[in-house]
Amino acid sequence: MTALQKTITAERIKLRRSPVWLAFFGLPLISAFFGTNNYRMNQGILQNEWFSLWTQHSLFLCFFFMPALIGTYCSYLWRLEHSRTNWNAFLTAPVPHFALYFGKLFQGVLMTILGNAWVFSLYYVCGKFCGLNSPLPKAVLSWFLCGMLGGIVVCGVQLTISMWIRSFAIPIGIAVAGGIGGMFMTNNGWGLYYPYSLYAIGMRANNPNMEIPLGQFLSGCVVYILICCIISVWKLKRGEG
Amino acid sequence: MKTLQLEFYKIRRRNVWLSMFAMLGIQILWGQWSMRNPKDWELESGWMSLLYSLTVLDGLMMPTIMSLLASRLADIEHKGNTYKQLKTLRSAASLYHAKALCGTVILTVLLASQAAVFILYGYYLGYEGNPDPRYYLLAYGLKFASCLSLFLLQLLLSMYFANQMIPLVIGLGGSMVALFVMFVSNYSFLPWGGILSSSLVGMDWDQTSSIIIYFYRDYSKAETAAVICIFIWVFVFYAAGRRLFTRREA
Repeated sequence: MTALQKTITAERIKLRRSPVWLAFFGLPLISAFFGTNNYRMNQGILQNEWFSLWTQHSLFLCFFFMPALIGTYCSYLWRLEHSRTNWNAFLTAPVPHFALYFGKLFQGVLMTILGNAWVFSLYYVCGKFCGLNSPLPKAVLSWFLCGMLGGIVVCGVQLTISMWIRSFAIPIGIAVAGGIGGMFMTNNGWGLYYPYSLYAIGMRANNPNMEIPLGQFLSGCVVYILICCIISVWKLKRGEG
Repeated sequence: MKTLQLEFYKIRRRNVWLSMFAMLGIQILWGQWSMRNPKDWELESGWMSLLYSLTVLDGLMMPTIMSLLASRLADIEHKGNTYKQLKTLRSAASLYHAKALCGTVILTVLLASQAAVFILYGYYLGYEGNPDPRYYLLAYGLKFASCLSLFLLQLLLSMYFANQMIPLVIGLGGSMVALFVMFVSNYSFLPWGGILSSSLVGMDWDQTSSIIIYFYRDYSKAETAAVICIFIWVFVFYAAGRRLFTRREA
């Protein structure tokens, strides 16, 4: 078993029987319920079928709730390390520091992907419930993949912040503020340079023509993910947690 | 009094004030963005529109902010596993009251700062006339009561669950519920809909001219009941929190 596999297994053991997945299950459910309800009440104006339904599902979820939800999960991943003297045990584990970090990142990314898949499953089910008989647009795959990448960026940033700040609540506050700030940045045209906007941009939230500058978006995501990984591993190597 | 002083002593260097004012900063940023460049008709009804905008902002953000505040006040005891020890030194009720009062003081200052900043911003934008003190004071009082009910609910949860993820996710869920209640109604009996119910200003959108008309609300019987419900929630959450905390073993 490689060091990375060991840390992934260790993280999985730490998360066993934790209710954290309930949040990823429950909050998108509330969002989908109300988004669909709003779509049904305004079907006279919202005539673009799947695209219109998506506007109702994605807007607040992407800017407000998903960053906060990912932030909560990342805080939870570091929670155990911040309690008592667990940093000592964590940093003296017989595995390289990068493996310690990537073990956590792997869990965060996995949950982000599953959460995103759940959001899209709900979108499909709600569309069928609303009587949308046309096939799901092919572009949905691109929204999902780009959203997933944007979510990984938020996950990377939040993991770094949660590692740095020894509090459970403050990184979540930062995620809430970051998500709302993302709306401000996107509306001013700076969204591609701001990590918390990338999720919403990828998901095409509040984007009437559903197009994005893909090259810039991808490079933005890669740069932010790399920066977060480098900072986090560097911080772990310094042994300060 | 000493227990209350100690609560403030405990939150020193825990950045509670900083995190609360950071949230206020986000609200100011959002307000600045949504209220910038007002048209003439917006300047005319500026003070009313400000009350309305603050309701929307607070309705959406306060459930989350209150969950953060309560969590910061309560988790120090979970981390240090100090509940049992503290209860040997003073009564459980006084400890609960100290935490509730500490949060109430922070909430009072936060809402007063918010009102002051936004009123100054209204003058800066050139809103016509002055804010009506009766409505602004009443709005402050009702919003305070709504936020207090949310804070007491969150304090109860944060003190009950050692794992702070649960109360924080409930706070987030509360924000989501509040947001969607705004879409479907202008009042709600749920604790998260209190800020919406207590809004003194209503809004009508004229489709032909795209002009928004603001007006002071005349409460129907159901809306009045929803406002009364805020105070019932305050009492219920206070009593439940006190009972739960005083009977808790550790």
